[in-house]
Amino acid sequence: MLQKLTRAPFGLTLPSFTLLLMVFGVPITSLLFMSLNAPDWSFVNYQRFLSQSANIYVLLQTIEISIGATAICLVIGYPTAYLIVTAPERQRTVFIVLVLIPWLTSGLVRTYAWTVILGDHGLINNVLVASGLASSPVPLIYNRFAVFVGMVHIMLPMMILPLLSVMYNIDKSLVAAARSMGARPFTAFWRVFLPLSLPGVRSGSLLVFVGCLGFYITPQALGGLRETMLSKLIVNQLLVSANLGATAATAFVLLAVTAVVLSIFGLDLSGSRERVRGAVGTKRRSWLSAQGAMGRWFNELGTSWRASRWQRQLYRAAAQVRWVEFAGAGFMTVVMVYLLVPGLIVIIMSFSAGDFIEFPPSAFSLRWYVAFFEDSTWTTSLSNSVEVAIDVALLATATGTLAAYGLGRMSPQSRSILTMMILMPITFPVVIVGVAAYYGLFHLHLIGTKTGLVLAHSIGANAYVVVIVAATLANFDRRLEQAAMSMRAGPLRTFWRVTLPLIRPGILGGAVFAFIASFDEAVVTSMISGYSIRTLPLRMLENVTQQIDPSIAAVGSLLTLLPVLWLFVLYVLYWRSRGKPQRAHAQAEA
Amino acid sequence: MNEHVKSAALAERKVSAKMSDCVEIEFRAVTKLYGALAAVKDLSLSVRRGEFLTILGPSGSGKTTALMLLAGFVAPTSGDIVISGRSVASVPSYRRDQGIVFQSYALFPHLSVRRNLEFPLEMRGVKAANRANQVGRMLDRVHLADYADRMPSQLSGGQQQRVALARALIADPPFLLLDEPLGALDRKLREQMQIEIKSMHREFGKTTICVTHDQEEALSLSDRIVVMRAGRIEQTDTPEALYDRPATRFVATFLGEANLFEHSEFELRTDLDQPPNTVAIIRPERVRIAAPTAPTCPDQHLRQAVSGTVEDMIYAGPLRRYQVRVGRSTVVVREHVASGQKIFYPGEAVRLDWLRSDLRIVAE
Repeated sequence: MLQKLTRAPFGLTLPSFTLLLMVFGVPITSLLFMSLNAPDWSFVNYQRFLSQSANIYVLLQTIEISIGATAICLVIGYPTAYLIVTAPERQRTVFIVLVLIPWLTSGLVRTYAWTVILGDHGLINNVLVASGLASSPVPLIYNRFAVFVGMVHIMLPMMILPLLSVMYNIDKSLVAAARSMGARPFTAFWRVFLPLSLPGVRSGSLLVFVGCLGFYITPQALGGLRETMLSKLIVNQLLVSANLGATAATAFVLLAVTAVVLSIFGLDLSGSRERVRGAVGTKRRSWLSAQGAMGRWFNELGTSWRASRWQRQLYRAAAQVRWVEFAGAGFMTVVMVYLLVPGLIVIIMSFSAGDFIEFPPSAFSLRWYVAFFEDSTWTTSLSNSVEVAIDVALLATATGTLAAYGLGRMSPQSRSILTMMILMPITFPVVIVGVAAYYGLFHLHLIGTKTGLVLAHSIGANAYVVVIVAATLANFDRRLEQAAMSMRAGPLRTFWRVTLPLIRPGILGGAVFAFIASFDEAVVTSMISGYSIRTLPLRMLENVTQQIDPSIAAVGSLLTLLPVLWLFVLYVLYWRSRGKPQRAHAQAEA
Repeated sequence: MNEHVKSAALAERKVSAKMSDCVEIEFRAVTKLYGALAAVKDLSLSVRRGEFLTILGPSGSGKTTALMLLAGFVAPTSGDIVISGRSVASVPSYRRDQGIVFQSYALFPHLSVRRNLEFPLEMRGVKAANRANQVGRMLDRVHLADYADRMPSQLSGGQQQRVALARALIADPPFLLLDEPLGALDRKLREQMQIEIKSMHREFGKTTICVTHDQEEALSLSDRIVVMRAGRIEQTDTPEALYDRPATRFVATFLGEANLFEHSEFELRTDLDQPPNTVAIIRPERVRIAAPTAPTCPDQHLRQAVSGTVEDMIYAGPLRRYQVRVGRSTVVVREHVASGQKIFYPGEAVRLDWLRSDLRIVAE
């Protein structure tokens, strides 16, 4: 019986779904009922929310800030991704790593770095005042500008990475084909490359937008009192008021915004890109064709001009356009500085010998690291974080790997539905996941316990593991399993001897991500730790705005360097195991 | 098959090619370096107007680089490329008038068949009404009129190939480049497409340069074949001449099957003066197989005979392929299947003979 169950694809997803339902599914459903004032059923909670103009203001501001941050991310991220894809192979790898490093670095630390850079006595103002360019500190922080700087900094990799994966898969010969038919470089880009990269624009924008909706630490730390986000409101309600119904209503308003955006642009994280695109395409053909007709009309205006230019320039030699390359290099430099310098500043500052935070440090020492390791409150929180993260990595890797394996053997329909459910904890705004987890763990009496933390972190980590392992499985040749079975290996032995060794890099990669996701988590943690368990990010969160104790820089530096270490581990796992045969193959091709 | 037609047409072209202004495309000592590696070395080649020329070679022979140079995607390190009397070495691809059929077709996946065909016309500033006209006519020509509003992903491989060909031809460029045009098709479709390409070439009369590693494709399509190896031209000639009189061992073995007789391999009284560093070759279909006791032909004095033992026999539809052990070497014999023919089975003793004039001496 048991064997039959575990062999069935659905059985393999069971551990994942047990976890998901316990910590997320059941609580969010009952929260929904509660927000609807069950069993009396009314919209009183929503009416109360919407009747307060302050709430409406925060809601609109949340949407406004999220749209703004998404737009900025797109404007910066698209050219960056394009330049990375078109760069020579070796440079490309370097750039991807440089984008990944900040992505793996704790958002908390990066927010902290911006307070140090933008603060009234921060880096920029110090320079301005010292050089006499400004008589008094320029207000760079506690305003909308700082919120955007911080949020875009955190979300930019989330925009660049999906764009990269789509752009990377665009057949380069298509652009070559367009040029061979007389399309100038910009036309070839505009007519061929850009339309084909739109799926990446869509997924990147969705990820960033939804991520922004759930933000609350960064706007809180960098924005003024006016820059409140809905998620901040939710956390306040949860921690202060006893009325869970009202909190749930606020959370569902935020979720509704998310759902509306997702349903307009279509959620596409399940890896079934082609099918989703096809479905969306048929639904919106009329809209697209209307737009296309207009574009064509404009296009037609230039026809005679193009005809004469074609005649004029046929077989005319072209000068190498150098300034384009320079502009590209300059742009990349600025973006990379923006992405990486804050982290570097934190690291350098942490070696300061002074009594206060200063940059650049007048002398270097390890005193703040010593202070950090001598302060038992810091070390306890560090060991708490590590303990929780290891448990999360173990649990989520087990459940996620099984689920990914099971999902891979299902029919496409059930796969995409179940995958979407499993990915909810990372596609929903994080604060909603926090509210649900809070409610679920509250009923299990696990608020303020390590077990509770591990469970709450695991639902998100599980999703990451599923994504990564599923991606690895997609490249795994199913016929190898059939071959093993034809040689009389049973299903279990086949998995153990053939499948597992081949997908091991994906599993280990998933474990690393699970660890990082848990280790850096601050939002959900702050809601369910009940002040009794202090993880490192939580301790840091308490101190971020104070900026007084330089040992916080030491913590930040540790939190920054750790992911770099992990990235190295990932590099060893992935590129070493796969890159070599591929490279040999590429050479044989050339 | 239509060898007579082909050679007649070729002879006609050869006459007209005497006039130098008919040289459409010329490579003048073109070298392309990638780092220290020369993808193409000192390549000189001229293509006549209306000619179907195939550049044939294994991967790494520089044939693709030659195509990229011609298409304007890469610039030569040294040397010059001349098209219709104009040097185009530093002319970017989009300012050349050419049609290219890409290896995997490179049909724009986000545009319908119609929009794909319109693209080169649009880039040349053709008005919408004229575009629609031309697209309609071309779609009729390739029998795809019903598929105009399909997306490329909704077409079969053969249909995609026809769209790619139509797109390359629609703007009426003076010449056409084909990059492994049949590589992605299965055998049956390949044959159909070969006929299609051939008839397109006849109809439009476009100078066509095709790059391929497939010798069958090269032999059946081309007026002339350039065999490349390691960035250099190995031999240039008509398909028949290349097959019949290969200049080197590489050409002999790359183009079709050949029995190679090393100098001292077995007693081969070739009558031909075989200089050192050469091998004698004979094509398998020129070797005749018979029982040792079979009566000899009247032309036996023109023939050379050896005896051997059948090692293997493969029946392949119209052909029977024997592998015969002669001394220390193996001779391959290809015989057309005919009724009443004697079939030899492995182990049987046989006599092989061939016309001395069918032996070729080629450079090692």
